[in-house]
Amino acid sequence: MNSWLQVGTDESITLTIGSSDMGQGSASGLAQVLCEDLMVDYARIQIVQGGPTLAAVAPIGTAINTVGSSVTRNNFWKLRDAGAIAREMLVTAAMNQKADLVRANFTVSNGVVHHTPSNTNLTYGQLASAAALLKPPASAPLVADSEFKSIGKPQDRKDIPLKVDGSAKYGIDIQLKGMLYAVVKHCPTFSGTLANAPAVPSGMVAAVPLSVAAGTGRGTEVAGAINAVAVVGHNTWDTWQASKDLSVTWNIPAGAANLDNAHFLATAQALAASAPAYVAGGTNPAGTCYTVEGNATSAAAAIAGSAKILDATYVLPYVSHACMEVLNCTVDYVPGVRCDVYAPTQSAKAALALVVQLTGLLESQITIHTTFLGGGLGRKAEQDFISQAVQVGMVVKQPVKLMWPREEDFTRDQYRPMGLMHARAGLNAAGQVTGWAYRNVSPSILGQRGVPLGATGDSQGIEGAHALPYNLGAAVTEWVSHPSPIPVGFWRSVGASLNTFAVECMIDELALAAGQDPYMFRRSLLTDPRWIAVLDKAATLGNWHAPLAAGHGRGIAIGTAFNTIVAQVVEVSNVTSTRMRVNNVTVVMDCYLAVNPSFVEHQLIGGVVHGLNATLYGRQTFLKGVAQNRNFSHSRMIRMGEMPQVKVALIPNPALSDRTVKLGGAGELGVPTFAPALANACYSATKVRTRTLPFFPNATMSD
Amino acid sequence: MSTTLTLNVNGQNHTITVNDPSMPLLWAIRDLIGLTGTKYGCGIEICGACTVLVDGQPEKSCDMDVSSAAGRAIVTIEGLSANRTHPAQVAWIKHQVPQCGYCQSGVLMSVAGAMQAGHTGSSIASEVQNLCVCCTYQRMREAIAGL
Repeated sequence: MNSWLQVGTDESITLTIGSSDMGQGSASGLAQVLCEDLMVDYARIQIVQGGPTLAAVAPIGTAINTVGSSVTRNNFWKLRDAGAIAREMLVTAAMNQKADLVRANFTVSNGVVHHTPSNTNLTYGQLASAAALLKPPASAPLVADSEFKSIGKPQDRKDIPLKVDGSAKYGIDIQLKGMLYAVVKHCPTFSGTLANAPAVPSGMVAAVPLSVAAGTGRGTEVAGAINAVAVVGHNTWDTWQASKDLSVTWNIPAGAANLDNAHFLATAQALAASAPAYVAGGTNPAGTCYTVEGNATSAAAAIAGSAKILDATYVLPYVSHACMEVLNCTVDYVPGVRCDVYAPTQSAKAALALVVQLTGLLESQITIHTTFLGGGLGRKAEQDFISQAVQVGMVVKQPVKLMWPREEDFTRDQYRPMGLMHARAGLNAAGQVTGWAYRNVSPSILGQRGVPLGATGDSQGIEGAHALPYNLGAAVTEWVSHPSPIPVGFWRSVGASLNTFAVECMIDELALAAGQDPYMFRRSLLTDPRWIAVLDKAATLGNWHAPLAAGHGRGIAIGTAFNTIVAQVVEVSNVTSTRMRVNNVTVVMDCYLAVNPSFVEHQLIGGVVHGLNATLYGRQTFLKGVAQNRNFSHSRMIRMGEMPQVKVALIPNPALSDRTVKLGGAGELGVPTFAPALANACYSATKVRTRTLPFFPNATMSD
Repeated sequence: MSTTLTLNVNGQNHTITVNDPSMPLLWAIRDLIGLTGTKYGCGIEICGACTVLVDGQPEKSCDMDVSSAAGRAIVTIEGLSANRTHPAQVAWIKHQVPQCGYCQSGVLMSVAGAMQAGHTGSSIASEVQNLCVCCTYQRMREAIAGL
């Protein structure tokens, strides 16, 4: 049909995708969408990630980056159209062959075109060659919702059998003939650079200084700076030991002394109190205040005249990604001829552009092989590790697998930004909100990527803080760019992970100050029927009004990200200064359409616990530019015995074939509402309000 | 200075040569024998992604010297069964447990070890201390309940 969708004369059907499946089930979900209108069984669709096709133009567009919970929602209609168009090309080939141009005389079932008058069949494989010569129609009729065989049904994922017998190949599993192993050693201090090229250790092949490729460095890590060395040897272990033992001298700039948490917090507090306003056409340096929406003066006036005024500051830390599979990339480079890159990447197309930039080869000489990803969580959308592997490949000129030991992965992350959120709001005597002033101070993800910030600041930083559906009276939302240069990046749910916590805790505080039930208070501020339906369902399913046992607490929160609305009810008990028990979590979601409800449920449950780990334990801290938490020992996560029981409900929607309604994402949506629901539950249990995360910053874990 | 030793992995003997006899079993299995189902996660015996059976016992291969594994019966995920027929593998597919899947080899070896030691159902669960960053614990628990 084209280079992305192929129907083989051997009856195979292969869909190439630019996006990456990190365990969301999105690759299988895309197959489920395609097979519906192509009219073949789901089991027949084979999915290929990345590969040579990436260099081809995608005629219908395709999700190339796997970010923003976007794969399914951005490709749903494209793949439905593509499936229908391909099907009609195959049917047209059958019509030509049967010399019968009456479309109604043909039906399709599982890739077999049936000609009713002659009672004969032609398979897609038999028709593929002739269909390939036809011009695709601009559009083709879609299967009616009432006839769906695949969309909305819980099919099994195609990758799961490979993940129970060890045969799934992740990036770190790539083995090529004659392959060398490279282990990365960064300067321990952010902003530090290499003073002298180290000698090649005994028994090793090379010690390659690694520079920050243009477009891959963030914050302290500027393009051209040499901030790491790769030791190259013959197996992982020996090379890693040589890397550990390698004596390297680094130049540490004086400014690194100020790269610490206490300094970052003091700066954030000062900017929350006072920051210069954005000026159109001005330089707007870090520390500028951007008005996202509303008016600060009218909000302040409305609040000032209120019967009750609440003022609260919420502080969230930097958080590491800590994917189970450390960063790695394998490169096979033949100078002037080709470069094959094997990477667990969320951004294969960006990797292709990077390899062109580094090698000078043509796109057609480069193949990005997207492997399975042992988690991505946003970190594997970055290109730093791929750049490093290509640099080593270009030096050693033979296949080489580069990996980051776990300690490098924790200490050289592009972290979820820290944030300090200040909220101030008023209530009138009737318990209604009179005014709302919200200011988020956090380092800019887009700013560190060189994206110019307009009048409303960083779109990534304000997700979850603006366009709130609550009636909040005179409201203003501001965002201030925090100047910390610690590298930051996209962490599952991005800005919503900060803002939904602050907004939904503040709403809870207002409810209690107004003497109202937190669920009913939210309900009274809402008018959007979809929000109300999600909130009501969560309250019902989460037994909101049921009596609580002594020492138990229940909390609720609702929010939106990536076009999806989610509410959670969390029940906790045994809350102390060092631990708590999270017993039950109820999650209700309206993403408008779930292609595979089983995948979505699994993603939500995973997202909830991702949020739980971060809320209870997650943080990275810095001292003089050095990240302090180096392994899971100081980045605790729960194990199976601590797993709460999670109930999920999806609000069904009957209007599937409405192209005018934006579909919502699913992969990241379990995260943002968990933290506030938990904090609100803890308040309910203890009457002590926690506004700084994580709950247990000094928690550790051992074997 | 190199040492030659024989590892019995999944019933087959592999003669390997190492420069460092304290190389962890994990890296010998992955880099020298070429079986990559056993994963590196933390390197400090916390996450359990590297779990294999040694003489029937679950062991974290990231912290076991290859020299001390020589001559013992090592089973990796590749040797757990032919064609994914171990009851835990069957249950994992039935309950669609994995997400990214990276930790699951180690989890399944922990489950298999607990079953071999006589545990059933929820008593298996308390033996499984592996980390899953995707947090597939709920489906793991459901899958284990039927074992």
